[in-house]
Amino acid sequence: MEKREIIERLTAIFCEIFSDNTLVLNDDMTAADVENWDSLTHMMMITKVEEVFGIRFKLRELNKLKNVGDLCQIIMDKLS
Amino acid sequence: MVFNSTPFVLFFVVVFFVYWFPLKRTTKAQNVFLLVASYFFYGYADWKMLPLLMVATAVFYFLGIGIGRSESEKKASWLRTLGVVLGVGLLLYFKYLNFFIESFANLFERIGLHTNWHSFNIIMPLGVSFFTFRLISYVLDVYNGEVEPTRDVVEFATYIAFFPCILSGPIDKPKFISQIHQKREFNYEQAVDGLRQILWGLFKKLVVADNCAVYVDQVFSSYTDQSGSALFFAAILCSFQVYADFSGYSDMAIGVGKLLGFSITRNFNNPFFALNVADFWRRWHMSLTSWITDYVFTPLNFQFRRWGKVGMIMAILINMVVVGLWHGANWTFVVFGLYHGLLFVPLVLSGAFMKKDQLRTNRIGLPALKDLGGMLLTFTLVSIGVIIFRAESIGQALEFFSRIFSVGFFSVGIAGAGIPRRTCLFVAIMLVIEWMQRNQEHGLVLKGVKSVFVRYVCYFGILSFVFMYGVFNETFVYFQF
Repeated sequence: MEKREIIERLTAIFCEIFSDNTLVLNDDMTAADVENWDSLTHMMMITKVEEVFGIRFKLRELNKLKNVGDLCQIIMDKLS
Repeated sequence: MVFNSTPFVLFFVVVFFVYWFPLKRTTKAQNVFLLVASYFFYGYADWKMLPLLMVATAVFYFLGIGIGRSESEKKASWLRTLGVVLGVGLLLYFKYLNFFIESFANLFERIGLHTNWHSFNIIMPLGVSFFTFRLISYVLDVYNGEVEPTRDVVEFATYIAFFPCILSGPIDKPKFISQIHQKREFNYEQAVDGLRQILWGLFKKLVVADNCAVYVDQVFSSYTDQSGSALFFAAILCSFQVYADFSGYSDMAIGVGKLLGFSITRNFNNPFFALNVADFWRRWHMSLTSWITDYVFTPLNFQFRRWGKVGMIMAILINMVVVGLWHGANWTFVVFGLYHGLLFVPLVLSGAFMKKDQLRTNRIGLPALKDLGGMLLTFTLVSIGVIIFRAESIGQALEFFSRIFSVGFFSVGIAGAGIPRRTCLFVAIMLVIEWMQRNQEHGLVLKGVKSVFVRYVCYFGILSFVFMYGVFNETFVYFQF
């Protein structure tokens, strides 16, 4: 799957989970840039990402995510 | 040696001057001195346990280096697990072993099995719940790549034993080590703000908490002779006592940290203005809830994520029981945690758990009616929990509850000593100041007051309250944890 397609799907997930249809994702985006992104909504977002992309994360992998770019990268790694 | 004692004032004056004058130029010398001062502070309170603290520190220091050097994931994972087992084991042995032995012996006795188990004569090290949490979070954060393992044993040992925080928190995460590593410059503004925060802490501790304690202790020690209204009132004052005692101590610890150039994590954010119980726990003992969220709730929530809201409720219930048990080895604390966990259930089911509503005010600056209702309901629920928290046994808590409603509510009046009007006034002053200062770090940040004269009137007003009405008894509720 191409990065562009991953970003498109992630955007839909982020808009739904964080209740903001205006979100535009970029690699440097972090939880500090999104109003409702906290530890709880983060877990909901991760669960949705697992469901949509058909992948499973390990907790340690999640701990290393620093921004949206890292999330895209790990999804691409798991899909390849 | 508590903060509000003459020995501490003498100790800190020496520490402050040596730290900022002869040792100002070299951070390493400052750190060695801070470590020696921290060990002296700890040893002054409990010298027999000082070797334990030192050995535990050394073991976790090497575990951190071991995890950092591990080339294989398996070895790093093994060392991480060893660290967690050792840390939890330390806590279990010193704090919970006798509790488990007695609980199981009682359980077997009830089902007709006689055991010869007897409890051990174990002395619990002061601050064990606080320093073991720092040790455990260090190995976990190193393993998770959150922090690099430090090679400097002095910096690590200072982080574990840092004297403002070792006896009663706040529990700073391992990222605090970077503050110890950095060169610190004396910052006049920060130091003065530290003094203001210490003063505010002294007011909460000595004027509010310790005056509440006089009434609360009297009622709780003779609760069978009290009217329902007196018991209910004591439960309310007890909530204020626990808050003012612990947040007062935290303010003093943070203030002392500021005087030494450190930024210690915030521990309370006006919990009595919380709109629901979830909001309350975001504002109460924040360093503990943050620790437990990171290392207990998040892994559990991750494991249970496929079960949706049911999984989240399970994670919250386990999490809150751990929070309860952290406070002490007694079934009352288990029930206290479970009670709070159950209060989250309607919030999770309704979705209110995820919302972080901002406080709304009306035209005259008071809380909007709906928010006031939320605050009062939350406060009442928390005060009910405080009865369980304060009781010596579940039976006593149940009897306390039943007496509130079964004994004539107004039959005897509010306690034999009458309504403690002065204490109520102190609580009201604290609440008014905290409401006005709710967006500030503490009650005496008076940046908005332009007149120097008015600011000093406020400072000296609070100071005179401390000297006139303070109860100097040198005990803190949270020291027992």
